[in-house]
Amino acid sequence: MAKDIRMPKLGQTMEEGTVVTCLVKIGDAVKKGDILFEVETDKATMEVDSPAEGFVKAIIAEVGQTLPVHAPILVLGDKDEVVPQSFIDSLLGGAAAAASTAPVAAPTPAPVQPATQPVAASAPTVSGSAVSLAGVKVLRLQKLGQTMEEGTVVNVLIKTGDSIKKGDVIFEIETDKATMEMDSPNDGVVRAILVESGQTLPVHSPMVILTDKADTPLPQSAIDAIRSSGAVAEAPKATATTPVPVPATPAPAPQVKAAESVPLTTGKVFATPRAKMVAQDLGIDIRRVPLAPGAARLTEADIRKAGQQPTTATVPPQPTLSLGQKVTINRLQRIVGEKMLQSKREIPCFYLNIRADMTELVKLREKLNKNASVKISFNDFIIKAVAMGLRHYPIMTGQLAGDHIQLADSIDIGLAISTPQGLVAPIVRDAFNKSLVEIATYCQGLIDRARSEKLTLDDLSGGCITVSNLGGFGIDSFIPIVVPGQCSILGIGRISDTCVPMDGNILIRKLMNLNLSVDHKVANGADAAQFLDFVKKTLEHAGNFA
Amino acid sequence: MSFKIEDMRKKAVPKIGALIKKGALTADQVKDWLRTMWEIRYFEDRVYDLLGQNIIKGASHLYAGQEAVAVGSIAAIEIGDVIGSTHRGHGHCGAIGNKYAQDEKARQDHWNRMMAELMGKQTGYCNGRGGSMHIADVKNGCLGSTGIVGGNIPTAVGAALAEKHKKTGKVVLSFFGDGSTNTGSFHESMNMASVMKVPMIAIVENNLYGMSVPFYGRSIESAGCAANIENIAERAAAYGIPAKIVDGMDVISVYLAVKEAVEFAREKCQMSMVETKCYRWYGHSRSDAREYRSKEEEKMWKERDPITVLSRKLKEEELATDEELEAIRVQALKTIDTATDFATNSPWPDPKDLAKDVYVEESYPAEVVAKDKEYSSKAMKATETFEKLMKTLEGKTKKEISEKARAAIKADFGMDVIAIKDALIAAQAEEMRRDPNVIIEGEDVGIYGGAYSATKGLLAEFGKDRVIDTAISEAAITGCAVGAAIRGIRPIAEIMYVDFITISMDQLMHNGAFNRYMFGGHAKVPMVLRTEGGVGRCIAAHHSKSLEPWLVNVPGLYVVMPSTPYDAKGLLKAAIRSDNPVVYIEHKATYGQMGALPLDEYIIPLGFADIKRPGKDVTIVSYSRQIMFCLAAAKELADKHGIDCEVIDLRTLKPMDAKTVAESVRKTGRLMTVCESFCMAGMGPEIVRRVIEYPFENGRTGFDYLDAAPVNLAAADVPPPMSEPLENASIPTPDKIVAAVQKLVRK
Repeated sequence: MAKDIRMPKLGQTMEEGTVVTCLVKIGDAVKKGDILFEVETDKATMEVDSPAEGFVKAIIAEVGQTLPVHAPILVLGDKDEVVPQSFIDSLLGGAAAAASTAPVAAPTPAPVQPATQPVAASAPTVSGSAVSLAGVKVLRLQKLGQTMEEGTVVNVLIKTGDSIKKGDVIFEIETDKATMEMDSPNDGVVRAILVESGQTLPVHSPMVILTDKADTPLPQSAIDAIRSSGAVAEAPKATATTPVPVPATPAPAPQVKAAESVPLTTGKVFATPRAKMVAQDLGIDIRRVPLAPGAARLTEADIRKAGQQPTTATVPPQPTLSLGQKVTINRLQRIVGEKMLQSKREIPCFYLNIRADMTELVKLREKLNKNASVKISFNDFIIKAVAMGLRHYPIMTGQLAGDHIQLADSIDIGLAISTPQGLVAPIVRDAFNKSLVEIATYCQGLIDRARSEKLTLDDLSGGCITVSNLGGFGIDSFIPIVVPGQCSILGIGRISDTCVPMDGNILIRKLMNLNLSVDHKVANGADAAQFLDFVKKTLEHAGNFA
Repeated sequence: MSFKIEDMRKKAVPKIGALIKKGALTADQVKDWLRTMWEIRYFEDRVYDLLGQNIIKGASHLYAGQEAVAVGSIAAIEIGDVIGSTHRGHGHCGAIGNKYAQDEKARQDHWNRMMAELMGKQTGYCNGRGGSMHIADVKNGCLGSTGIVGGNIPTAVGAALAEKHKKTGKVVLSFFGDGSTNTGSFHESMNMASVMKVPMIAIVENNLYGMSVPFYGRSIESAGCAANIENIAERAAAYGIPAKIVDGMDVISVYLAVKEAVEFAREKCQMSMVETKCYRWYGHSRSDAREYRSKEEEKMWKERDPITVLSRKLKEEELATDEELEAIRVQALKTIDTATDFATNSPWPDPKDLAKDVYVEESYPAEVVAKDKEYSSKAMKATETFEKLMKTLEGKTKKEISEKARAAIKADFGMDVIAIKDALIAAQAEEMRRDPNVIIEGEDVGIYGGAYSATKGLLAEFGKDRVIDTAISEAAITGCAVGAAIRGIRPIAEIMYVDFITISMDQLMHNGAFNRYMFGGHAKVPMVLRTEGGVGRCIAAHHSKSLEPWLVNVPGLYVVMPSTPYDAKGLLKAAIRSDNPVVYIEHKATYGQMGALPLDEYIIPLGFADIKRPGKDVTIVSYSRQIMFCLAAAKELADKHGIDCEVIDLRTLKPMDAKTVAESVRKTGRLMTVCESFCMAGMGPEIVRRVIEYPFENGRTGFDYLDAAPVNLAAADVPPPMSEPLENASIPTPDKIVAAVQKLVRK
């Protein structure tokens, strides 16, 4: 009886793992406890051992591939059993549905997985980056480092027609960190190279099409389909009848969202001279202009499109107030007042306080920002930490809805921004699935839009929590008011040098107050405390962001 | 055989006194020759010294020892006659300058300018552009001097043809050395001059060595040798040319022999050769150690120094005293001293004038430019209508349909519809009627009417003196056109295939294109070299290339390549009228291509591109037949793919109308070039370079306006293959253009 082995949760914070080595091959007999894979998590490289006995029937996970927890990685079966393709297909296509019913390998707390929310929506489901079916394999850009989001092809070391072996170096890739070699995870004959030197592409973008034999049929339409399958949309599912991996379903929501937002652009931005000139004329920062899918460089059209949403902030002069003056309430302030009143009336709050040691994070931030084109603020780290916390404690996303508590569909976090017109708290959508740099880029855009009054309704609606930071004003600690419709609000104070007893010494550490106001209708003290402690700990371990 | 070789060394040389008595000479004349010989000698000695001091730089091939040849020969011609000089040309230039000098001041000025040119000064004959090897006063009967051995002979043939055509009665002396008589230029020229019957005298300065190799025989055992005949005069015999051999160390002998030859040329309008046996005192150049000739040989020749020979004669015949002879020597030395001072104190040329005089500056009245724009778009519309009518009209034969369609175009547009070949014939005929100095020469241009019928019928109208069939001698055909153009007529030379231009290239570049600049802007070369190129007839690698990149690489040339009958006619007429050398390249596959053109007279200004199809998405730059391919592709791209191409026809490749191209790219942001020539260092990359560098009024350059990497479509880097499928595969075709544009626009 065929049995699927899934990516185990190898640590409390593990969300996904990157396959480093595969230690078995098809046909191998494995016993319970035999090591199948080495997997790199956010913490360490760990071994995945077999939870059962059997014969390896199919290896779904490929070396270099990053897979979410519970994603299928291997199929075991009886000695002579023939595992039908449909079984593997159902694993790949229905990975999400399967995940919810899969045995939960991790200890408590189990993530809450509403049946309507496929796993794919919150974690990228990655299927075979080189699916060996019908003799066609697609090699995709491997994640060559934890923070790598994209890579620039420096050198193409193969050419069409080359016969390559697993382990052959096929590209030199420049990442945000270094220039690295990418080697082939498979043997095969190079049939098409989909990238060229100088091209920057997101991780998992298709790069090379291999076939088993030089004469394996490979129609141009198939190459085109692979080429247009684009980056992370991946999950290219190959079946026996369709030899070419074609995305079975539309790209998962997070990726679509990511594309809508401003994608990170670090390092050199490739743009045509005309694009640069138009950007200069329109005052647009080309680093904030998204690249069209599959394009090698920004063109004039990209810039003009971006120019329709100006990013430059125009700050009208601050009106000076004098005593005795009647100050007119603008629309925004009226709304803020009404909401806050509503909150005080309808939301029974309790308040938690905790202090986070930000010493490591301050250093990390300095390091990251040194040469980066996108500067990361403390708020960005906090938003990321809060997003991770909400992912672990989904109850903190809830809202009382009559007889039940409705948890949010995605982790959307508000950021309180003071503008000349008043206070706004636009939403960072799907913050959990955004990288730090993406959050930073997105927040900068939000701030720019807020200050230039260009926020849309969509920017302002929803959210599970708001982050409000008055540290910049020198505030040590304050208690914020929950925004109606959200479960809690986190008030952030300034980071101050503080004497801290540690290991028998008194050290000067950089501490920061976090105050959480929570809707007691939704969450109790224990939930909220664990959540806040998680956020604190996440902030304290800079490695979580490296 | 119809020739004779006369060895005048075997006859006694007449006494000077006897010649004076006969009235053939005056004593003053002969003393002036002596003075000129001394001036040349002192000039060369001084140059030798100044080279050693590094005051004169560059090459210097010294004339010392051969003075009697230049002085005796040039004494034998008249003011208005023409000479062609060589890399060892100081003597020719010195002697003819003295001939034109009316007084002592003019004479001193002449030597001043010679020395200044050697030093590379602004006051030199060529403003420092030519130097030793190209020293010439082209205003005073000199065709110039070349650095390519034998390269000056074809131009002398052309000059003689021009004098004959203009019926001036003038003759051309072509000086060249023994070394050049082993080059193709020599043989082609001797044959052509002999056949054309032109008033030319070949003066062979047989100084026995071509650099180090003896022409015939040897005085050093290990030396090689260049020929197996002793007398070059025998080679003249092979071309039916009468020849004399004279003692080149005796100015009287040279004078008398050349005098006879000049008279023969003037009377019979025919060429002859005078071979002078002479010797150079110095080596080939200053660095030459002269190991290839014995000291005994040098001593023997130096005893017969032409200055000594003449001085002795004057004294023996009591025509001059020692004092008089000494005074002549001293005066000559003083002239060269003064010239040296003058040159030393002269200013250098200003580098800001570096590019001055590469071309004769030409401009066109605004109305000519405007008229072309109007006619051009009208012709495009008329041609399109004609093509539609050809498909829709009915008739018994194609000819009948064509006649109907032509009549309709005439009625609707006031334009005729003709083939490119007929447009070319019309252009030449009109210009030949307008200007009697326009002549045509080339292979098969006469009865045959040109290999592609582009001169058909012209022989009948203009006669064989103006439509001249030549031997298969590409170098001589080209050089002849250069020489004729320098001497004031407007030759059209036809080279049957552009591939054969490889043989013409020395003449076309070194003489045709460079003469104006090298000679300080004093010459102009209003010639047209018509040829054709491209694939399309399966005639393989020696008859199918597109070599325009070679030609645009030559400063001083214009390069024109038409794509339609309208352009073909208007551009050819403008090319004929241009004072610059124009290479006009047709496409072998387009001679039958029909198109509309105005009924009235027009020219198309050179250097102006034509927007054959306006568009907004991508700029396609091309020329010649590929324009038709681009237009076909543009139509398909517009009809099927919604891509709007702007197709620009350069028409004139050099000078290139970068402005029109850059302005278009400014609009579209995308550039594609389509050429039938090879890509490497070719037209496409050059167009891209010009666009990238093009400076706009706002401080931007063309580079700033590019929204995609430019694409160059060109011939595959293979010798054009014969087989039709391969031939088609080797060049851009409409399908390839369509695909490339789609890719470019998608990027």
